[in-house]
Amino acid sequence: MLLLPVTAGMASALRTCLCVLTVLVLGVADAALAAMASPGEAPAAVPGETHRDVSGEGVVIRIGVLSHRGDESTRRTWNATADYLGTALPGHRFLIEPLDFADIDAAVAERRVDFVLANPGIYVNLEVHHRVSRIATLRNRVGERETNVFGGVIFTRAGLTEVQRLEDLRGRRLAAVDPTSLGGFEMAWGELAAHGIDPWTDLTLSFAGIHDAVVHAVERGEVDAGTVRTDILERMAEAGAVDLTALRVLNPQQDPDFPFLRSTPLYPEWPFGKLRHTDDDLAQQVAIALLQMPRDHPAALAGGYAGWTVPLDYQPVHRLLERLHLPPFDRVTRFTLRDALRRYWPTLLLAASALLVMAVLTLRVLHLNRRLKRAKARLEQRHELILDSVAEGIYGVDLAGRTTFVNAAMERLTGWRAAELIGRNQHELLHHTRADGSPHPGSECPVYATFRDSQPRYVDDDVFWCKDGRSLPVEYSSTPIRDEQGATVGSVVVFRDMTERKQAAEKLRRHQEELAHVARLSTLGEMASGIAHELNQPLTAISANARACVHLVEGGRATLAYCSDVMERIAAQAERAGEVIRHIRHFVRKEPPQIRPAQVAAMFETVTALLRPEAERASVVIETRIGEGAEWVLAQEIQIEQVILNLARNGIEAMAETAPPEAGADRPRRLALSAGLCGDGVAISVADTGPGLDPAVAETLFQPFVTTRSEGLGLGLSISGGICEAHGTRLQVETSPGQGSRFWFVLPASVAPAASPPP
Amino acid sequence: MAADPTVFIVDDDQGVREAVSLLMESVGLPTETYPSAQAYLDAFDAARPGCLVLDVRMRGISGLDLQQRLAAEPLHPPIVIVTGHGDVPMAVRAVQAGAVDFIEKPFNDQVLLDAVHRALQRDAEVRGQALRRADILERLRRLTPREREILDLIVAGRRNKVIAANLGISQSTVEAHRAKVMEKLEARSLSDLMRMVLLAARE
Repeated sequence: MLLLPVTAGMASALRTCLCVLTVLVLGVADAALAAMASPGEAPAAVPGETHRDVSGEGVVIRIGVLSHRGDESTRRTWNATADYLGTALPGHRFLIEPLDFADIDAAVAERRVDFVLANPGIYVNLEVHHRVSRIATLRNRVGERETNVFGGVIFTRAGLTEVQRLEDLRGRRLAAVDPTSLGGFEMAWGELAAHGIDPWTDLTLSFAGIHDAVVHAVERGEVDAGTVRTDILERMAEAGAVDLTALRVLNPQQDPDFPFLRSTPLYPEWPFGKLRHTDDDLAQQVAIALLQMPRDHPAALAGGYAGWTVPLDYQPVHRLLERLHLPPFDRVTRFTLRDALRRYWPTLLLAASALLVMAVLTLRVLHLNRRLKRAKARLEQRHELILDSVAEGIYGVDLAGRTTFVNAAMERLTGWRAAELIGRNQHELLHHTRADGSPHPGSECPVYATFRDSQPRYVDDDVFWCKDGRSLPVEYSSTPIRDEQGATVGSVVVFRDMTERKQAAEKLRRHQEELAHVARLSTLGEMASGIAHELNQPLTAISANARACVHLVEGGRATLAYCSDVMERIAAQAERAGEVIRHIRHFVRKEPPQIRPAQVAAMFETVTALLRPEAERASVVIETRIGEGAEWVLAQEIQIEQVILNLARNGIEAMAETAPPEAGADRPRRLALSAGLCGDGVAISVADTGPGLDPAVAETLFQPFVTTRSEGLGLGLSISGGICEAHGTRLQVETSPGQGSRFWFVLPASVAPAASPPP
Repeated sequence: MAADPTVFIVDDDQGVREAVSLLMESVGLPTETYPSAQAYLDAFDAARPGCLVLDVRMRGISGLDLQQRLAAEPLHPPIVIVTGHGDVPMAVRAVQAGAVDFIEKPFNDQVLLDAVHRALQRDAEVRGQALRRADILERLRRLTPREREILDLIVAGRRNKVIAANLGISQSTVEAHRAKVMEKLEARSLSDLMRMVLLAARE
C-alpha cells in the first residue's frame, strides 16, 4: 500500500504518504469511532434538545459559520441574517457561531450547531462525513455585481515581468490562505496541477491564514505571487485597501457573465447546510426564509451578499477535491479496503487461504524442482564419472549415424576431441577403411546395422582410425538404444584397444614357436644316439664297400661289373644317409609361421625316418595309412610333424615297457600313423599297442613337466597340445588299459597346391 | 668238420651286412651272413671254426644277449662286437663276456680286419687246445686206477719214496707205475706231464 505511489510522481507520492500516515497514526481511532457512530443514533454525543431548551425567548438555533476573516467580522457580517431568520421563524432564536477551519468539523460532529455555513470545500467534507445537506446557495455581491459562483485568482505584482504565465511560477514563492481554503488555495492548486505544476514541490508555499494578508504579502513583495478567492481583490480595492493596478492576474479567464478577476474555473458559492439531526421542517422553513430574502434586504446588505438561491450542484467541488486527493477523498482507499474486508471477509479469507495454499504449493514445487535439478545434476555427474572412469571407449550414435556422446577414454584412445566427434558422422571419421586398407562402405558398418535390425553386435577384429591417422585395433560391441516405446533411436558402441592384446598374443605365439623349436631340438637331442646309429649304418656300409672294392682292385681280382655293383651299393647307402640328414634338417628348421597345405605322407615319412632306430631297438613296427581325401591338410607342417613325432615316440616308449614279443607277448608292438577324413577335416592319429594310460595320468597328460618317463622334461605333450590349439584343434586321447592308446587331432583338409613346393 | 674258418656276420641292416661280407671276401675270408641273432642261433654249429662279427643294436635279440647265450656253449667262435654308438659300460660288459674286440661304426676296414684275424687266430688256438685236451683226457682214461692215483700224487709234487710209503708199496713198484703213466700219456718229461694234467683239469 505504501509502495504503490512510488510508481507515480514523486510529489504525489510524498503527499499521499503524508496524508495516509497522518490518518493512520493520528486519526485511526477517531475516524473509526466517527465512522461507526454516525450511522447509529449517537448515544454518547450531547443531544441537540439541550440547546433548544435553554431559554424562554424561543428555541436557540445555532448557525456555524466559517470564520475566514476573523470572528468579529463574521458576527458583524452574519448577525443580521440570523436576526432575519429569527423574525421569519417566530419562536426561534438564531445564533451565529464563528468557527475557524480547524474547529468546524468537530463542531458539526459534536452537534454544537444546527446549521452550517461554510465554503464549498468544507461543505463537501461535511456532506461526506456528517451527512450535512445543503438547503440554499449564497448569492455573492460585490458592489453592484452579484453571482452565486466563485473561483480563485492567482496574481503577482504588476512589476514582476518575469512571471507571465503559471509555468513561470516554478521555483518561486506563492502565498495562499490556508491549505484547506478552497478559493484561497485548492482551486489554484487544481489549476496549477492542470498546467503540470505541483505547488507543493515546484513552488515555495506559504500560508498567510487570511485573504487580506495574502494580498498584502504580494503587494509588499514578500512573495512572488498569491492566490485568493475571486472578489477578494475587488472588495479590498473598493475598501481602498489595495491598488489593483499594482497587481497582475495570471492565467486570466475571460467570462462576460462573471464580474470578477479569476484564474480558475468557477465553483458554486457557499452553501447553507443543515445538519443531520436538524429537524427537516425547521430546515424547510429556514430554506424558504432564505430564498424569500430580497436581494436588497438589510441582512443581505450587512452580509455583503445578494440573497440566496436554490442549492447548486457541488459536484465540481467533489471532482476538484477528488483530483487533488484532498479530504474527503484522501480516505477513499482506506475505507474501500476496510469495507471490502468487512463485507467480503469470507471470500477474502478463502482467497487468502487459497493464495497461501498456492504459495505453499509453489514453494513446495520450487523446492522439489530444485531437488530434482540437484538430483539430475548429480545423476548426470555420476553418469559422466562412470562413463569417464571406464577404460573402454564408449560413444553413442543416432539414427543418422552422427555421434551423440563420447567418453574420456574414447578421446584418449582415438585422439579425437568430443567436440570434433559429436554431431558428426562417426563412420566417416572412425571407420572409413578396413584394416587391410580397403574402403569400408557405411552400408556395411556393423554399428549402423545395429540400429537397422535392432540386434546387438560384437566385432572382435576391426580397426578404428585415430585423428593422427593411426589405426587402432579394436574389439567392440554395438548395442541398440531404445526409447520408452521400445523403438530404436540409435546405438551405443563400447570398444577396447586391442593393440596390447594383439602384441601379447603375437609375443605368446612367438614364444610358443620358440618353445616348440627348443622342444624339437631337445627331442632331437634325446634321439641323437638313435639318429647317429641311423647315420652310422650307411656310413659303415659305404666304408666297408669301398674298402672291399679297393682290396679287390689291389688284388687284381676285381671285375668291372663287380666294382660297378659295389659302387651302386655305396651310392645307395650315401643317399640313404643324405635322406636321414635331410629329415633332420627339415625337422629342426624354423618354419615361417604360415599355415599352408602340407602333405601328410611327407610328414609321416619324416617321422618314420627319424624314429626308425628307436623303433627298431624297441622292436616296434611302424605302419602308416593315409585315407583317400586325407592326403593334404592345412597346417604349419613342421609343427604338426613335431606333434606326430612326439606322439610316436611316446607310443614306442610305452610299448618298449611291455614284455618283448619273443618273451611270449601275444600282441605285436605296432605303431600306427594314420590320416583319414573326419567330417570336413582330416583326423591324424597315432595309435600304439602299449599298456595304455593310467586314468590319473591321462588327466594331467597335457600339462607341462608331467612325464612317466625317466628322461625328458615332459614337455612333449604339453607343447603338442599347444600346437594343436594354435591350429584351432584339440589333441585328444583314447586309451584302454592293456590295449594301447590312440592320440588324435583334426586339421582342415586341403588339396595339393597348384605349384608344387620346392623339394 | 669244415676245414676253412668262416666269418659269421650278424647284422639286421642289410646294407651293412652285405658291405662287411664283401669286405671279408675281398681279403679272402669266407663269410656267412645272418639278418638276426635268432637266425644265427638257429644255424649255430659249435664245431665250425671261425669268428662272429656281431652288431649290438638289433631288433629282437640284441648282440649282447646273443653273446651271453653263446657263452653258455662249451665252444663258440670268438666275437667281434660292432656298434654304432658304443659306450664304456657296454664295452666293459662285452669284453668281460669274452669279446675279442669292440669296434665302433663307422670303422676303418683295417681295424675290423685285424680284429677278425685276431679272432680267427684265437679260434684256431682255442680249437687246437681243445683238441689237445680231448686227446689228453682220452689218454688219461687209459690209466688204471692205481696209475691214476700215483699220477695225482706225482702232480701234487710227492717224491717216489713218499708215494711208496703212502701207498704201502715198494719204491720200485712206484717207479714202474710212473714209467707206465709217462708211457700211456706220451709225456716226454715231468713238466710235459704236469702241463697235460693242468690242461685236462681246466674247465
